[in-house]
Amino acid sequence: MKRLVWLYPARWQRRYGDEFIAVLASQRFSIGLMMDVVGGAVDAHLHPQVRSNELENRKGEDTMTNEMLKRCAAGGPKLSAHDQKIASITMVISSLVLTTLYLVLTKIYRSRPAVEAIGYASFPAIWMIYEQTAYLRKRSLLTQAVIAVAITGGMYAFMFGVCEIAARL
Amino acid sequence: MRKGKEDPELDDFGRFSEPALLILISLAEGPKHGYSMTEDIKMVAGVQLGPGTLYGAIARLESRGLIEALKSEDRRNPYRLTGLGERALRARLDSMMTVVRAGQRRLASV
Repeated sequence: MKRLVWLYPARWQRRYGDEFIAVLASQRFSIGLMMDVVGGAVDAHLHPQVRSNELENRKGEDTMTNEMLKRCAAGGPKLSAHDQKIASITMVISSLVLTTLYLVLTKIYRSRPAVEAIGYASFPAIWMIYEQTAYLRKRSLLTQAVIAVAITGGMYAFMFGVCEIAARL
Repeated sequence: MRKGKEDPELDDFGRFSEPALLILISLAEGPKHGYSMTEDIKMVAGVQLGPGTLYGAIARLESRGLIEALKSEDRRNPYRLTGLGERALRARLDSMMTVVRAGQRRLASV
Protein backbone atom coordinates (compact mmCIF):
# COMPACT_ATOMS: atom_id res chain seq x y z
CA MET A 1 0.00 0.00 0.00
CA LYS A 2 2.80 2.44 0.87
CA ARG A 3 4.06 2.15 -2.68
CA LEU A 4 0.96 3.91 -3.96
CA VAL A 5 2.63 7.15 -2.92
CA TRP A 6 4.94 6.65 -5.91
CA LEU A 7 2.02 7.58 -8.15
CA TYR A 8 2.35 11.15 -6.89
CA PRO A 9 4.78 13.76 -8.26
CA ALA A 10 8.24 13.74 -6.64
CA ARG A 11 7.84 17.24 -5.20
CA TRP A 12 4.47 16.30 -3.73
CA GLN A 13 6.01 13.15 -2.19
CA ARG A 14 8.75 15.19 -0.54
CA ARG A 15 6.19 17.57 0.94
CA TYR A 16 3.34 15.24 1.99
CA GLY A 17 4.69 11.69 1.51
CA ASP A 18 5.26 10.73 5.16
CA GLU A 19 1.98 12.19 6.38
CA PHE A 20 0.11 10.63 3.49
CA ILE A 21 1.54 7.18 4.25
CA ALA A 22 0.55 7.53 7.93
CA VAL A 23 -3.07 8.31 6.99
CA LEU A 24 -3.10 5.60 4.31
CA ALA A 25 -1.82 2.99 6.80
CA SER A 26 -4.59 3.91 9.26
CA GLN A 27 -7.37 3.02 6.81
CA ARG A 28 -8.64 -0.40 5.82
CA PHE A 29 -7.89 -1.44 2.24
CA SER A 30 -10.82 -1.18 -0.17
CA ILE A 31 -11.48 -0.44 -3.82
CA GLY A 32 -12.84 2.95 -2.76
CA LEU A 33 -9.59 3.74 -0.95
CA MET A 34 -7.56 2.70 -4.02
CA MET A 35 -9.67 4.92 -6.26
CA ASP A 36 -9.30 7.81 -3.82
CA VAL A 37 -5.51 7.45 -3.87
CA VAL A 38 -5.31 7.11 -7.67
CA GLY A 39 -7.72 10.03 -8.15
CA GLY A 40 -5.58 12.12 -5.79
CA ALA A 41 -2.46 11.21 -7.78
CA VAL A 42 -4.04 12.23 -11.09
CA ASP A 43 -5.16 15.50 -9.49
CA ALA A 44 -1.67 16.12 -8.06
CA HIS A 45 -0.20 15.75 -11.56
CA LEU A 46 -2.86 17.81 -13.30
CA HIS A 47 -3.18 20.55 -10.67
CA PRO A 48 0.13 20.75 -8.82
CA GLN A 49 -0.28 22.85 -5.68
CA VAL A 50 3.22 22.28 -4.31
CA ARG A 51 5.65 24.78 -5.79
CA SER A 52 9.40 24.77 -5.33
CA ASN A 53 11.13 27.79 -3.82
CA GLU A 54 12.69 28.36 -7.20
CA LEU A 55 9.29 28.72 -8.85
CA GLU A 56 7.93 30.92 -6.09
CA ASN A 57 10.88 33.27 -6.36
CA ARG A 58 10.69 33.69 -10.10
CA LYS A 59 10.74 37.23 -11.39
CA GLY A 60 7.68 38.79 -12.97
CA GLU A 61 8.91 38.56 -16.53
CA ASP A 62 9.67 34.82 -16.24
CA THR A 63 6.02 33.85 -16.46
CA MET A 64 4.53 30.63 -17.78
CA THR A 65 3.25 32.47 -20.87
CA ASN A 66 6.74 33.74 -21.69
CA GLU A 67 8.19 30.29 -21.14
CA MET A 68 5.64 28.78 -23.52
CA LEU A 69 6.34 31.46 -26.12
CA LYS A 70 10.05 30.74 -25.84
CA ARG A 71 9.40 27.04 -26.32
CA CYS A 72 7.20 27.64 -29.36
CA ALA A 73 9.82 29.93 -30.88
CA ALA A 74 12.45 27.28 -30.32
CA GLY A 75 10.27 24.63 -31.97
CA GLY A 76 9.32 22.66 -28.87
CA PRO A 77 10.48 21.81 -25.38
CA LYS A 78 14.16 22.06 -24.55
CA LEU A 79 15.04 18.45 -25.20
CA SER A 80 18.58 17.18 -25.01
CA ALA A 81 19.85 14.94 -27.81
CA HIS A 82 19.43 11.95 -25.49
CA ASP A 83 15.79 12.85 -24.68
CA GLN A 84 15.01 13.38 -28.36
CA LYS A 85 16.49 9.99 -29.15
CA ILE A 86 14.38 8.26 -26.48
CA ALA A 87 11.21 10.08 -27.56
CA SER A 88 11.84 9.23 -31.22
CA ILE A 89 12.58 5.56 -30.51
CA THR A 90 9.41 5.35 -28.38
CA MET A 91 7.38 6.89 -31.20
CA VAL A 92 8.81 4.57 -33.85
CA ILE A 93 8.29 1.45 -31.70
CA SER A 94 4.73 2.55 -30.85
CA SER A 95 4.00 3.09 -34.55
CA LEU A 96 5.32 -0.35 -35.48
CA VAL A 97 3.43 -2.08 -32.67
CA LEU A 98 0.13 -0.35 -33.48
CA THR A 99 0.49 -0.87 -37.24
CA THR A 100 1.28 -4.57 -36.79
CA LEU A 101 -1.61 -4.94 -34.36
CA TYR A 102 -3.99 -3.23 -36.77
CA LEU A 103 -2.88 -5.38 -39.75
CA VAL A 104 -3.12 -8.64 -37.80
CA LEU A 105 -6.54 -7.81 -36.37
CA THR A 106 -7.84 -6.66 -39.78
CA LYS A 107 -6.72 -9.97 -41.25
CA ILE A 108 -8.54 -11.93 -38.55
CA TYR A 109 -11.66 -9.84 -37.82
CA ARG A 110 -11.87 -7.66 -40.94
CA SER A 111 -13.29 -4.17 -40.47
CA ARG A 112 -15.18 -4.45 -37.21
CA PRO A 113 -15.58 -1.21 -35.22
CA ALA A 114 -13.19 -2.43 -32.51
CA VAL A 115 -10.49 -2.98 -35.15
CA GLU A 116 -11.21 0.19 -37.12
CA ALA A 117 -10.94 2.17 -33.90
CA ILE A 118 -7.32 1.03 -33.53
CA GLY A 119 -6.53 2.42 -36.97
CA TYR A 120 -8.16 5.79 -36.24
CA ALA A 121 -6.77 6.07 -32.71
CA SER A 122 -3.23 5.17 -33.76
CA PHE A 123 -2.15 8.50 -35.19
CA PRO A 124 -3.20 10.74 -32.29
CA ALA A 125 -2.10 8.06 -29.81
CA ILE A 126 1.42 7.94 -31.27
CA TRP A 127 1.64 11.72 -31.21
CA MET A 128 0.45 11.77 -27.58
CA ILE A 129 2.98 9.09 -26.63
CA TYR A 130 5.75 11.22 -28.15
CA GLU A 131 4.53 14.30 -26.32
CA GLN A 132 4.29 12.41 -23.04
CA THR A 133 7.77 11.03 -23.44
CA ALA A 134 9.09 14.51 -24.20
CA TYR A 135 7.25 16.55 -21.59
CA LEU A 136 7.15 13.98 -18.79
CA ARG A 137 10.73 12.86 -19.25
CA LYS A 138 11.71 13.88 -15.73
CA ARG A 139 8.84 11.94 -14.16
CA SER A 140 9.15 8.34 -13.03
CA LEU A 141 8.66 5.56 -15.58
CA LEU A 142 5.55 4.48 -13.69
CA THR A 143 4.01 7.95 -14.03
CA GLN A 144 4.83 8.06 -17.73
CA ALA A 145 3.37 4.57 -18.23
CA VAL A 146 0.16 5.36 -16.31
CA ILE A 147 -0.45 8.58 -18.25
CA ALA A 148 0.41 7.02 -21.63
CA VAL A 149 -1.90 4.05 -21.00
CA ALA A 150 -4.70 6.31 -19.76
CA ILE A 151 -4.46 8.61 -22.78
CA THR A 152 -4.21 5.86 -25.40
CA GLY A 153 -6.99 3.93 -23.65
CA GLY A 154 -9.21 7.01 -23.59
CA MET A 155 -8.41 7.75 -27.23
CA TYR A 156 -9.26 4.18 -28.21
CA ALA A 157 -12.52 4.20 -26.22
CA PHE A 158 -13.58 7.43 -27.95
CA MET A 159 -12.72 6.13 -31.44
CA PHE A 160 -14.44 2.82 -30.69
CA GLY A 161 -17.59 4.69 -29.70
CA VAL A 162 -17.47 6.73 -32.92
CA CYS A 163 -16.91 3.61 -35.09
CA GLU A 164 -19.68 1.75 -33.29
CA ILE A 165 -22.14 4.60 -33.91
CA ALA A 166 -21.00 4.90 -37.55
CA ALA A 167 -21.51 1.14 -38.07
CA ARG A 168 -25.09 1.36 -36.79
CA LEU A 169 -26.10 4.31 -38.96
CA MET B 1 -24.43 27.01 -7.14
CA ARG B 2 -23.49 30.62 -6.59
CA LYS B 3 -21.81 31.23 -3.24
CA GLY B 4 -21.87 34.39 -1.15
CA LYS B 5 -19.67 37.26 -2.31
CA GLU B 6 -17.83 37.33 0.97
CA ASP B 7 -16.21 33.87 0.81
CA PRO B 8 -14.45 33.53 -2.54
CA GLU B 9 -11.53 31.53 -1.09
CA LEU B 10 -13.19 28.11 -1.35
CA ASP B 11 -15.01 28.69 -4.63
CA ASP B 12 -12.40 27.26 -7.00
CA PHE B 13 -11.75 24.05 -5.03
CA GLY B 14 -14.01 21.92 -7.24
CA ARG B 15 -14.59 18.48 -5.74
CA PHE B 16 -12.28 19.41 -2.85
CA SER B 17 -14.60 22.16 -1.68
CA GLU B 18 -16.49 20.08 0.89
CA PRO B 19 -13.39 18.25 2.24
CA ALA B 20 -11.65 21.63 2.52
CA LEU B 21 -14.54 23.03 4.54
CA LEU B 22 -14.46 19.98 6.85
CA ILE B 23 -10.71 20.42 7.33
CA LEU B 24 -11.15 24.10 8.23
CA ILE B 25 -13.87 23.14 10.73
CA SER B 26 -11.60 20.49 12.22
CA LEU B 27 -8.67 22.92 12.53
CA ALA B 28 -10.92 25.55 14.15
CA GLU B 29 -10.56 23.42 17.30
CA GLY B 30 -6.75 23.64 17.19
CA PRO B 31 -3.73 22.34 15.25
CA LYS B 32 -3.93 18.73 14.04
CA HIS B 33 -2.03 16.16 11.99
CA GLY B 34 -3.64 14.60 8.92
CA TYR B 35 -4.58 11.46 10.82
CA SER B 36 -6.20 13.43 13.68
CA MET B 37 -8.15 15.45 11.12
CA THR B 38 -9.62 12.33 9.49
CA GLU B 39 -10.64 10.98 12.91
CA ASP B 40 -12.16 14.29 13.96
CA ILE B 41 -14.02 14.72 10.67
CA LYS B 42 -15.35 11.17 10.91
CA MET B 43 -16.66 11.94 14.40
CA VAL B 44 -18.14 15.35 13.56
CA ALA B 45 -19.51 14.78 10.06
CA GLY B 46 -19.59 10.98 9.75
CA VAL B 47 -17.38 11.20 6.66
CA GLN B 48 -14.19 9.18 6.22
CA LEU B 49 -11.82 11.22 4.03
CA GLY B 50 -9.41 9.08 2.00
CA PRO B 51 -5.77 10.19 1.95
CA GLY B 52 -5.99 11.29 -1.70
CA THR B 53 -8.91 13.61 -0.99
CA LEU B 54 -7.50 14.78 2.35
CA TYR B 55 -4.13 15.83 0.94
CA GLY B 56 -5.64 17.21 -2.27
CA ALA B 57 -7.66 19.56 -0.05
CA ILE B 58 -4.78 20.27 2.36
CA ALA B 59 -2.46 21.18 -0.54
CA ARG B 60 -5.06 23.62 -1.92
CA LEU B 61 -5.74 25.18 1.48
CA GLU B 62 -2.03 25.53 2.18
CA SER B 63 -1.19 26.99 -1.23
CA ARG B 64 -3.89 29.66 -0.74
CA GLY B 65 -2.71 30.52 2.77
CA LEU B 66 -5.89 29.32 4.53
CA ILE B 67 -3.92 26.85 6.68
CA GLU B 68 -0.23 26.54 7.49
CA ALA B 69 2.06 23.74 8.59
CA LEU B 70 3.68 24.05 12.00
CA LYS B 71 7.29 23.04 12.55
CA SER B 72 7.61 19.51 13.79
CA GLU B 73 10.46 17.24 14.85
CA ASP B 74 9.38 14.52 12.44
CA ARG B 75 8.21 15.15 8.88
CA ARG B 76 4.53 14.80 9.78
CA ASN B 77 3.60 18.42 10.27
CA PRO B 78 0.52 19.48 12.19
CA TYR B 79 -1.55 22.20 10.51
CA ARG B 80 -3.32 25.22 11.90
CA LEU B 81 -5.84 27.71 10.66
CA THR B 82 -4.46 31.08 9.51
CA GLY B 83 -6.26 34.41 9.96
CA LEU B 84 -7.35 34.23 6.31
CA GLY B 85 -8.58 30.67 6.84
CA GLU B 86 -10.59 31.69 9.88
CA ARG B 87 -12.26 34.52 7.95
CA ALA B 88 -13.01 32.20 5.01
CA LEU B 89 -14.53 29.62 7.35
CA ARG B 90 -16.70 32.20 9.13
CA ALA B 91 -17.89 33.58 5.78
CA ARG B 92 -18.72 30.13 4.43
CA LEU B 93 -20.58 29.08 7.59
CA ASP B 94 -22.56 32.35 7.61
CA SER B 95 -23.46 31.75 3.97
CA MET B 96 -24.58 28.19 4.76
CA MET B 97 -26.58 29.37 7.77
CA THR B 98 -28.48 31.80 5.55
CA VAL B 99 -29.42 28.93 3.25
CA VAL B 100 -30.35 26.67 6.19
CA ARG B 101 -32.58 29.34 7.74
CA ALA B 102 -34.32 29.95 4.41
CA GLY B 103 -34.88 26.21 3.99
CA GLN B 104 -36.26 25.81 7.50
CA ARG B 105 -38.55 28.82 7.08
CA ARG B 106 -39.97 27.38 3.90
CA LEU B 107 -40.37 23.91 5.38
CA ALA B 108 -42.23 25.36 8.36
CA SER B 109 -44.82 26.84 6.03
CA VAL B 110 -45.44 23.52 4.22
